[in-house]
Formats: sequence, structure tokens, C-alpha cells
Amino acid sequence: MFAAINSAVLLGAQGHCVTVEAHIGMGIPGFTVVGLPDEACRESRDRVRAALLSSDFPWPNRRVTINLAGASVRKGGASLDLAIAIALLVAQEEVAASVVGELAFLAELGLDGSLRSTPGTAPLVASVSGKSVVVAAACAHEALIASPVNVFGENTLRDVVACLRGQQQWSPATTANCGEQVETVPDLADVCGQPWARRALEVAAAGHHNLFLIGPPGAGKSMLARRLPGLLPRLGPNEAFEVAMVHSAASQAGNMRTASDVPPFRAPHHSASLAAIIGGGTTAMRPGEVSLASHGVLFLDELGEFPPSVLDALRQPLEDGVVHVARARHSVTMPARFLLVAATNPCPCANSAPGACICSHADIRRYQRRFSGPFLDRFDLRVAVEAPSPSTLVDTVRGESTIQVAARVERARSIAISRQGHANAQLSVDELDVHAHLSSSARLVLMGELEASRLTGRGYHRVRRVARTLADLDAHDDELTEDHVREALLMRVALRNPLHA
Amino acid sequence: MSDHPDWVYAAALCALPLQTPARVRTLMRAGTPAQVFAAIRCRKGNVDGIDSELLLVWRRHADTDLGDLQDRYTHAGVRVITERDVDYPWPLRGDPAAPAVVFVKGSLEVLDRRRVAIIGTRRASNGGRHFARELGAALAERDVCVVSGLARGIDGEGHRGALSVHRFPHHALGVVASGLDVVYPPEHADLWHAVAARGLLLSETPLGSRPEAHRFPMRNRILAALSEVVVVVESAATGGSMSTVREAERRGVDVMAVPGRPGVRTSEGTNALLRDGCAPVTSVDDVLVALGLDTRKSRPQCDVRPAPVGVEQCVVAALTNQPGTIDSLSLATALSVVDIALALGRLETVGWVAQSGAWWELLPSVHSG
Repeated sequence: MFAAINSAVLLGAQGHCVTVEAHIGMGIPGFTVVGLPDEACRESRDRVRAALLSSDFPWPNRRVTINLAGASVRKGGASLDLAIAIALLVAQEEVAASVVGELAFLAELGLDGSLRSTPGTAPLVASVSGKSVVVAAACAHEALIASPVNVFGENTLRDVVACLRGQQQWSPATTANCGEQVETVPDLADVCGQPWARRALEVAAAGHHNLFLIGPPGAGKSMLARRLPGLLPRLGPNEAFEVAMVHSAASQAGNMRTASDVPPFRAPHHSASLAAIIGGGTTAMRPGEVSLASHGVLFLDELGEFPPSVLDALRQPLEDGVVHVARARHSVTMPARFLLVAATNPCPCANSAPGACICSHADIRRYQRRFSGPFLDRFDLRVAVEAPSPSTLVDTVRGESTIQVAARVERARSIAISRQGHANAQLSVDELDVHAHLSSSARLVLMGELEASRLTGRGYHRVRRVARTLADLDAHDDELTEDHVREALLMRVALRNPLHA
Repeated sequence: MSDHPDWVYAAALCALPLQTPARVRTLMRAGTPAQVFAAIRCRKGNVDGIDSELLLVWRRHADTDLGDLQDRYTHAGVRVITERDVDYPWPLRGDPAAPAVVFVKGSLEVLDRRRVAIIGTRRASNGGRHFARELGAALAERDVCVVSGLARGIDGEGHRGALSVHRFPHHALGVVASGLDVVYPPEHADLWHAVAARGLLLSETPLGSRPEAHRFPMRNRILAALSEVVVVVESAATGGSMSTVREAERRGVDVMAVPGRPGVRTSEGTNALLRDGCAPVTSVDDVLVALGLDTRKSRPQCDVRPAPVGVEQCVVAALTNQPGTIDSLSLATALSVVDIALALGRLETVGWVAQSGAWWELLPSVHSG
């Protein structure tokens, strides 16, 4: 009359083990779910009942209590459906209790008894490691990311029970039928002209520097940003695993990014809410765009249109590489080490040529107030782009392709990694003093800029980091030359020359 | 009643609501300020040329504490000068629309200098700003007083240039539209104080007047009347500078304009002036010739910026006729973007070029040849 079945629920980008206990006792027929279930979880009663009956299994017409243990963690989603159904069958002695002890069950049930995939299969499977896992066949490939062995993908409840009774063999999960789409990153060679912006992309990728693109509509800001993931170094196995976990946790069931080594690219619209960008929002604390962009690129087009609260909330993940989302009942920590690329128009009228702007002083002030100073400070690279000239557009000479540039980026990045163990953008001020010595002429240039107050103290460090990357791209591991510093300074344009005179 | 000097009454009259320059003139001609003020206060009083309903409005507001008023002006260091005073700015005497009362702070000696107005758009290009500043400095070097409205853009730059020179005292004259204690634009506070300290600030509105939009065209007529030559550095086809130009033409004051590249918004106004027959200004000498102060022989002047060489020379050549981006310069000179960027960085340090967004402009020299 009692059964305990292993399953798991999703919280943030991680699974948490849950034991589904079923008790069937005397009393008025009824069905109660306890253990902090949310709405989707409580509705599983009706799904489980229909699935059992349509699979010709008995439904206990007695007092049924389902407990989701541990009782203090809130449970969301439908991933416990199959476990509840199996628990009821074990409690009714339809299935022997001895065969389910070393198994975990993770699937949603259809009313006809079919198994449906559930979001976050990969982190859920990872959380029940050590046990064999039964999942829906549709998401078996996702489960394989977390655990390459002991994953069984089945299609119906009837199949699962047949296997448990020993009437049928488990079908091990394969990646065969998942309809993997190969991810394609657009090629840099598609960008006409724009040599300076290409250079900025290369520097951003090589040093993992956040990039701010300023330019009028049609300058190709989004086009450039979309090509950045192709330039970034390919993901290592650990990074690819982390990315796949987060994407699995956030995916709608079955709509899963495959475990590829291409860095992810996320471009949320500016109407996205704070929870959509940072994470949280549901009981399962769905990962936000910052986590989905982890180890890849987060692109914010029309930066000024994002609510200031969203932009300021990005500051903490930008510093820490992880995002902490805390709610009253629980808090989760999710990865958020992304490369931020933002784009904006120079002013409301976007006439960027000298003397062509028709905005009033107040308009420009209002427009620029949207970007808080501390937020703008997070960008090492601020580059102005212009639409390419018509002659460049019709020219048939294509620029360098992604592969050529990515090779240089890879080389520069490996120099940085072997020197200090991380990318140049993460160089602390102490490390800068060790790894980014200035030549005497470079020192003079920076002194001049500081004295003319064209450069702040923080800007000084950022220029040194970018100059370090420029030197790495030149395979120049010595002290920074004047040329490196000058070029780094040019990649820090003012949003627009303030109209102060 | 007459325990205050006349100027206090004049200031009080100027501060009445619904006041206009024409009404101030009428009041000033109706008697001494003290008499007129008394007439407005008196229940049965009457003032020639003033509507009786307006008088009623004024009577309600004519309860100003004159002692306070006098203290405020004394404290602010602002003098009130009516056209009856001997100190009244002489260039304004005989002007068809002269203000009957002016408020000044600083030294009236600037009016004995040669006076050139440097005016132009508030939304100026880097090149225009640079030219205005250099022109202001070059004029101040030759003891010429720079006149402007102290607005954003060209006006302010002209004065910044003039004030950067310490060779002669008193060579800045600011004609402003608000009260002398209402700094506008606020970011020019330093400029206001410097002009008041080393030249003269002048306004026709009393202390506390807001910089309302309608005051600016009226300010422009005084600016034009106080100048011998008006130089328009950059201006759109319509705009405040053009109103100053019209006022100057009405008064027979010479208008000169700095030529600009066709098709650029900030050059439309100046180029139209040149087409209509204004004398062009390409260097400070052109202005000095117009003033009859040709010093070309006495004072050799040349560009102090180091001449560009190599890549920098190519870049300067490519920027000579139009602004460019790093990309377009790379295309025009067939050099790599990195070379171009480094050359631009060096040129910017020595003051040859300036950046605005993705665009780079060549900064012109005010010295001919």
C-alpha cells in the first residue's frame, strides 16, 4: 500500500532529487498531493488518472496521498507525472517494488498514456546520477548529454510497465531520432567593407572585451554582432556541457539546442522583462538570457530602449560571471559569463555626419541619460560604425572569412591563457601591472590623455587591457608599444562629443 | 519717495509684468523714473502712451520694496544705465530700437575697443568650433574685443578663444537675453564670470529674468548694434544667427561669413550669405582688413601645428575636402585601418583633426598661407 519512486524537479539550471511517495489507505476515495506542488504539479492527478485508465491499469478507488519529498522545496512542472503513475502501480502491487529502487522516472504523461518530454531533461538526469533513468524517447538525446549510459527512452506508460515486469527489454536512448539541427553561424565574409568594425570584432573576441557599437541605422551593427560567435574560440567540453544544461533547463520541451561547441548567441528584444533577462520568474526559476548567453554573446540592440532597471541588473553578472537569483523560498546561482555586445544610435535623429544632426541639446542629453555611466564603464570597446559607402557595397571583393579571423583570435587567446590563465578582459589591476607594462612613449601618450581629462582612471585600465589584446594579436608578448595604446584609445570613442561649448 | 537713486526706479519699472522694450522706452520718455514710478503707484495717476488697463495691472505689482531691489543690484555688482546717463553705451545712441535701460556688469571700457561679433549655430561641427575659438584668440591678440551671445556652440567658443589670451585687458563683450544673475546655458557659468571679470556683460532685462525664447531675437538687435563687424562662422539656413545678420544689415554693420562645404546643414546659412554678397572670412586677416587693421606685415603668424608627414600627410590630404571615417580613409588611401587609426590618433594629439562619432574632421587654421 506504500511506494517510493525517484524523480527530480528543476530549479534554475539544476535538477533536485525528489522522492515521490504514494500511500493508498482506507477512507473516502480521494487524491491529495502534498509537498509544495505548484499548479502544473497538482494537475498531474488528472493526467495520471487518465493515463492509467487508458493504458488498462487499475485506478485505486481509495484514499490516495502522494507526497513529494523533501517537503520544503517547492515543486513545479510536469516532470513528476511518470513517477507518480509508477508509484501508484507499485502501491497497488501491479509492479514489484524491488525493480524500481534503482530507477528514476522523468517524463510528463499524456492522457493516452504516452510519455512526453519535459523541459530541463539534461540537468534532471544529471541530478539523479547513479541510477538508471527512464525518460520520454523524444528527449532521450537530451538526457544523453548528462549521462551517456543507463538512460532508457520509452514511448508509452504501457511500455515502461512491460519493461518493469520483465516482459520487454528496455530501449537504450540513442541520438538517432532527435532531428538535430546543425547550428550555423553567419560568415564574416558577408560583411561588406567595414574594416574598422571588423577589427573591433576581432579584438573583442580575442580579449573577451565587451563591445559597444554606436552608429546610425543601416550601419550593420546587428549584422556584425551576429558574426561574433563564429570568431570566439570553440567551447571546451566542460563549457559545452554547461551551455547544454542551461539551454535544456530553459527550453520548451523538444525544442533543444544540441550539444554543439559553437558559442551561443542571444539577442533579446528590448521589451524583455527583468526576469526574462536575469532569470527566475517561475517556480522552476527559469534561466534568463544572461545564462543562456553564457560562454557566448549577449546582444542588446537599441540599448537605450531597455529599461534602466534591466541594464543596471546586468552589472552584477558582468562582474561576477554568475547570476544569483533570490526569491522568498529559494535562491539559485546560474552561470552568466557572456560577452556583451550592445548597439545604439548616436542620437534620436541618427544623422551622424558632422553638422547633419538636427537634435536639440536637450534631446541629446535625454537620449544619452538612458545609459548610466557605471554601465557604459563596463564596455572596454566603444566603436562608432558608419554605413559602408555605395561603392563598397557593390564591390565584389569580399573581406576575410570567419575562419581566417578566428584563427588569429585563437592564437591571441592562447597567448593570454598561457600567460595569465584567463582572457585579457578579466585582468585585474594588479595583473595589469605585471602583464601590461607600458613602453615609455606609450606611457607619455596615456599621461597626455589623463592630463587632458579625456581619460578617467577606470578608462586608463580598460585601455591597457585592450592594448594588451592588440599586442597579443600581433604576437607581441613584450611591453605595450605606443601604437597599441593609440589604437586602444581610438576604440573608446565618446558617445557623441558633448555640446558643451 | 525720492530717497532712492534714479536707477533703482528704472530697474523697478523694467521688472514690471508684461514689460516690453517699447514700453520701457515710453516710460523712460514720460518723465524721470522716479516720477513715472510714483505715477503708476498713485491711484489716480496717468502715464502718457500707456493703456489704462495695463496701468491697473502694473499698479497691483508696483509694491516692490525698492530698498531690497537696490541691495540686490549692489550685491550682484550690476549697474543699471538709462539712456539719460552719460555712461549709456555710445554705440547704442541713435539706434532705431535702442534699449532705454541696460543692465551691465564689468568694465564699460570694452566699448572703446574695436568690436567684432563671432556668432553661429549652437549645433556646430568640430571644425566650426575650432575656427571660432582660434578666431576669437587671434582677434584678442590684436586688441580687438569679441562680441557674442555666450550661447552654446560657436558663440561660446569665440569667447573661450578670446579669454584664452591675456595680452590685453577687456576684450570680451557678452550680450545676453536673460537677467545677469540667470546664467544660460548653465554649463557656461565659468564663461559668464570670466566675461564679467575681464570684459562686459550686458542685458536689457532686469535681474531674475528667465531666458525665454522671445528674448533672444531682441537680444540679437543689441548684439548687432554693439558690433562693428559680424562674423558668422557656421549657421543653418534659418536660425538665430540669421536674425542677428538681418539686424546688422539694418544698421549698416558689416556681415562676414566663413565659407563651408556645400550640402552640409551648418554651412547652408553662411554659404547663402556669401552668395548674397557677404565678404568671406578665411583667416583672421580678412576680419582685420574689414576693420582697417591690416597687420599682415607687422606680425608674422603661421600655423604652429607640426606639419604632417608620411601616412599623416596622406590622411590630412584625404580629409581636406570632406570629413571621413576610418573605413573611408582606408579606402581612399589604400592603407590599412590600423595605420589610418594610428595616424589619426597622432594627428588628434597635435590638434590637426577632431572626432565626432565615427567621423573625423580636419581642423582649419585661421592663419592665411
